Amino acid sequence: MQLNPSEISDLIRQRIENFEASAELRNEGTVVSLTDGIVRIHGLEDVMAGEMLEFPGNTFGLALNLERDSVGSVVLGSYEHLQEGDKVKCTGRILEVPVGPELLGRVVNSLGQPIDGKGPINSSLSSPIEKVAPGVIERQSVGQPVQTGLKAIDAMVPIGRGQRELIIGDRQTGKTAVAIDTIINQKGKNLFCVYVAIGQKNSSIAGVVRKLEEHGAMEYTVVVASGASDPASMQFIAPYAGCAMGEYFRDRGQDALIIYDDLTKQAWAYRQVSLLLRRPPGREAYPGDVFYLHSRLLERASRINADEVERLTNGEVKGKTGSLTALPVIETQAGDVSAFVPTNVISITDGQIFLEADLFNAGVRPAINAGISVSRVGGAAQTGIIKKLSGGIRVALAQYRELAAFAQFASDLDETTRRQLERGQRVTELMKQKQYSPLSVADIAISLFAADRGYLDDVDVSKIGDFESALHSFMNSQHKDLMDGINNDPEIQRRDRKRL
Amino acid sequence: MAELTTIARPYARAAFEIAQSEEGGLQRWSEMLQFVATVVQDKTIQAVLSSPDHDSRYKAGLLLKVCADQLSPTSSNFIKLLAENHRLNVLPDIVEVYEELKAEVEKTVEAEVTSAFELTEQQRQQLAKALSQRLQREVVLHCTIDQSLLGGAIIRAGDLVIDGSAQGRLAKLGARLSQ
Repeated sequence: MQLNPSEISDLIRQRIENFEASAELRNEGTVVSLTDGIVRIHGLEDVMAGEMLEFPGNTFGLALNLERDSVGSVVLGSYEHLQEGDKVKCTGRILEVPVGPELLGRVVNSLGQPIDGKGPINSSLSSPIEKVAPGVIERQSVGQPVQTGLKAIDAMVPIGRGQRELIIGDRQTGKTAVAIDTIINQKGKNLFCVYVAIGQKNSSIAGVVRKLEEHGAMEYTVVVASGASDPASMQFIAPYAGCAMGEYFRDRGQDALIIYDDLTKQAWAYRQVSLLLRRPPGREAYPGDVFYLHSRLLERASRINADEVERLTNGEVKGKTGSLTALPVIETQAGDVSAFVPTNVISITDGQIFLEADLFNAGVRPAINAGISVSRVGGAAQTGIIKKLSGGIRVALAQYRELAAFAQFASDLDETTRRQLERGQRVTELMKQKQYSPLSVADIAISLFAADRGYLDDVDVSKIGDFESALHSFMNSQHKDLMDGINNDPEIQRRDRKRL
Repeated sequence: MAELTTIARPYARAAFEIAQSEEGGLQRWSEMLQFVATVVQDKTIQAVLSSPDHDSRYKAGLLLKVCADQLSPTSSNFIKLLAENHRLNVLPDIVEVYEELKAEVEKTVEAEVTSAFELTEQQRQQLAKALSQRLQREVVLHCTIDQSLLGGAIIRAGDLVIDGSAQGRLAKLGARLSQ
């Protein structure tokens, strides 16, 4: 890039001219002790809870504990250069991150600073990371679908725009894969995505970013990365920072999707910070406010009505509703959903997608357990044609699993049971899907239609995958108008007969 | 240490309340506490006080002897009580809290002025007047000179800092340019 010297000195002159040289009035304190990123400060009489503090060396912190004789705060970033006796200033501000369309395609840290080496982010707006969620009056019920492109999810546990759907499962069960496939499928669907990586290996984060780039998904995605090597304070605020970036789109009458991958690690980071601040530990050594930690975050995912959008944009955007859909991820230990954090988040969200290691190892991928996966509000938002075709598929599949478990003991089965088992096998097979290959609404509809009409019954179970892809390519080449019709107007059902 | 302040507060408050009830007690107690605190911080005395060989009565006796001409009956009881509770080492913090309480009642505040050049008497008076108007307190100025400020002055009164130094402004300008 060519630097324009005059431009730069102009810029500098402008900055100097606008510089106000008045005396600075501030509230100051002294660092008393510094341990593992936790600073105890004497003084700072006027500090407010959650206020940003300024340390020497352009380092910032967050005042978390206001005690009688000291203030407990966390340092955001590295703290090696701080010393006992250093002066700490109040800033009078709450921590803010840059927001806006300029962030799309970028990888930023929890403070919104770019870490992808693509230069500064010139966003003109910023937003506090902690905001109160929209109230009852501002909301509207969920009515539009988020197409994940995964047959199993769109058919059995549909997700609506503005919903909060938990993705839960053990390690290595494909939780992140579901999330990434969902982002990849949003190309051209007017849904902006925010992927918040918390406490992950930096290599995994780089892998995700590369995959998103390969599929052209970074154009509409912001990645907020707080890796395992970042301080606990940064990991703890990352979801709030990402949420503020997602809320920008929601408040402008657009739709956004945010993925918190994963909230277990965020709870761990918060536990660390809390214990170091000497807050009393509770169950599993988590502090008392872990529930609130997640509920206040997930409550910000919502669908807001047109009046609220108009109010928030000062009348700039009229007659449009905005939404922020959240897909929090929780990692369980050995399938234990009754641990503290999983039960909390299950109760906060509007449903969960349960991924199981056994299914995953049996080759059912995505390894969704149809029995205990639910979507409490997504049904209202499901696409008409898929809703019609997939009715009862989840219950049928759940029943099949139970039946299959029993059938292992029985040698001879009656005809109806046998047929139900075979049907179940085929549907299970049909619900399998490769990673990074999301399907369109029409593709999913055709697959479900084939299953519904029993076309799969005379296909060998091992050949179902081939049959399906052949069917898709046949339909897409020979009956393009029909497929396009379904994609553009998913309510069609009359024309299904024509296909026969 | 913040924790020591917490321990010191009830002692300081009790001492302060007794001092208030005595005629001219505030100043006398202040001097006494400061004297005893200095004694306690002395190395040889410290060695005795922190030694487990002597019991608290011996330690109290020692302090009472050393500070005999400063002590009134109530204040020697105070020292005995501190020794009994093994809190003689918090005396410096007690002094701090006591002085805060005293300043609160007397409506005074100590302001530390660090300037690049020596202030003239007129400047001092102006400064003290302006500060006492702002803080609604009587201001006692302590002036020091630090040439690294280049110009202007920094005023510290408790937690409040007013930075009018050239160095502070340059730092601000630097931060702004590097943004």
